[in-house]
Amino acid sequence: MPTDSEGRRRIVYCVGEERALCDVLSESEAAALLGAASRAGLRGVRVVDPGGKTLWGSGNDVPPPGEGDPRRPILLEGEPAGSVVLPAGAARGETEDALLALLADTLTAMAHTNLKRMLTTETHTEVVNRSYEELLETNRSLSASEQRYRELAGTLEIKVRERTEELSRAMARLVQQEKMASVGQLAAGVAHEINNPLAFVTSNLQTLKKYTDRFLDIIARYQRVFEQGGVAQQDRDDLRKHRESLRLDAISADAGDLLRQTLEGTERVRKIVADLKGFSHVDEEGDAPADLCREIDRTLSVMTHEIPAGTEIVREFSPLPVIPCRPGAFNQLFLCLLRNAFQARQEGLRVTIRTGVSGDRIRIAIADNGPGVPADLRCRIFEPFFTTRDVGKGKGLGLTVAYDIVTAHEGTIDVEDAPGGGATFVLQLPIRRGSHDQIR
Amino acid sequence: MIEYDTEEQRMVLKFVYYGPALSGKTTNLLRLHDLLAKEGRGDLMVLDTKDDRTIFFDLLPFFLVAPSGLKIKVKVYTVPGQVQHDATRKAVLQRADGIAFIADSRRSEAKNNAESFGNLERNLSIVGIGIDKLPLVIQYNKRDLPDILPEEEIRRAWGPTGFPVLLSSALEGWGVLETFRTLAERAYDALDRRHDFAGTHGLTRDSFAGRLVRRAG
Repeated sequence: MPTDSEGRRRIVYCVGEERALCDVLSESEAAALLGAASRAGLRGVRVVDPGGKTLWGSGNDVPPPGEGDPRRPILLEGEPAGSVVLPAGAARGETEDALLALLADTLTAMAHTNLKRMLTTETHTEVVNRSYEELLETNRSLSASEQRYRELAGTLEIKVRERTEELSRAMARLVQQEKMASVGQLAAGVAHEINNPLAFVTSNLQTLKKYTDRFLDIIARYQRVFEQGGVAQQDRDDLRKHRESLRLDAISADAGDLLRQTLEGTERVRKIVADLKGFSHVDEEGDAPADLCREIDRTLSVMTHEIPAGTEIVREFSPLPVIPCRPGAFNQLFLCLLRNAFQARQEGLRVTIRTGVSGDRIRIAIADNGPGVPADLRCRIFEPFFTTRDVGKGKGLGLTVAYDIVTAHEGTIDVEDAPGGGATFVLQLPIRRGSHDQIR
Repeated sequence: MIEYDTEEQRMVLKFVYYGPALSGKTTNLLRLHDLLAKEGRGDLMVLDTKDDRTIFFDLLPFFLVAPSGLKIKVKVYTVPGQVQHDATRKAVLQRADGIAFIADSRRSEAKNNAESFGNLERNLSIVGIGIDKLPLVIQYNKRDLPDILPEEEIRRAWGPTGFPVLLSSALEGWGVLETFRTLAERAYDALDRRHDFAGTHGLTRDSFAGRLVRRAG
């Protein structure tokens, strides 16, 4: 059996195979006709194949056909496929010849009819077989592809899990980077704030050094005069002149201001450092009781440099219960929301921070009067990597970090329209947490 | 492809009349049957027709003996043109030695002709015959009808393929013998290359084609 390129067995169909007379005519059909012919006068008539071999004949002991026998061909598809033949020495006459011709024509017609019937059956069977074979083949390939899909579905789950883990790790890295970037921005602002007082403290100290040199100079003269034993008029005049030339009266008055200012400067730096420490809660680990109003103030205090000039900050604080939380994380959250608010518009910005308690939840709303968040984007802004800023201006992770902090505290964060335009970010936090003991 | 029994000195060749439904394949065979001498051919066998349309196939057998004693049977088949009989077409097409593609000349049938020819190409490749290796002639039939493709257009379309194109009206009886004779000659050339008809069997191209296309008295 032939096979196809993949080694599967393939049936070759071919109608109209060559047939011999004995394939087309049956013994019973031929015998009946020969019997009738024999009774009609053709005694010993028989059918031979093209090689002379007897196929069918009446009677048992008729001699083999010889060359002289009268023959009439039986045609199959136009080809002589055999002959009817009388035994040698049989009675011959017009009647016998006519009968012989009639017999040959009848057998030819019968062969033709039988062949037609066989071809019809054969074609029909082969077409049915072929259709069946094609269906089997279709079934085989469908089964194979089903198997492939089944395997794929099995491995797909594993692949999806692997990819998800990979993405989660990458995401965690990016979130960490975002936090670092956020702190970095803050650090830049704080550095600037510290630089200012530091600059005038340095300048004041340099001035004070010059002043100190003059005081030391005059003190040295006084010392010399006193050691020589007398205070003559001449000495007194000299000392007065020198004191005047050193403008000691003026610098005495100024030194006090300088020292006060310098102390103010160092106090400012101390406060900034304290704020920063308070903001970051570096000394605390895990949960600590916190007043979120105070934490918001702390965050605002470290953001001074990021607040656009002319911004109006409205604090509508109601006292909040102290709740255990990770204040450092919450300050990160406030930093993010406030920073977004401060970027809402360039001029005439007003940021309203409202705190309060509603039922068993703390509600904190931070509203700006910027362009607001279009309704169709609201469900997306907390998605990772979603940003409306230009490429390179933001990774789209700030609000994702905020969302993570809030949900870790079993709270919610939403964005709404601010009254009179702008966006309001609303945090709702449970005063008492149930299922989670710790915030991430 | 060819059935050749060297022991028995017998060869069976298969010619197939292919083409779209109702393009005149059976009419071609009927005309051959009418026009050709009874000697050396069998009767036309028309298998299972319904409403004058072929469901299985028609068969017109020819028989000749080469001077070498080689017995050659040539079976000319038609295939059913209807789309749904594709399995039958494939079965008949199996091991074909030559093909006459009977196209319908009417403009309205151009699409059916193209689809049927596409089907022929596809089925030939399925049964493992290369169309470029196979003797193939194209017949544009029904030239007696109005609104037919002009001859130049047909020649321009088929010229690049190199297949001989013949025009005919099987209904009026012209072009049919020429198509058959051209097919016989093309088939002879292919067979002669492989089996040395002229040298070994003393059978020339003219005598082969002449024996097949022998007009009735």
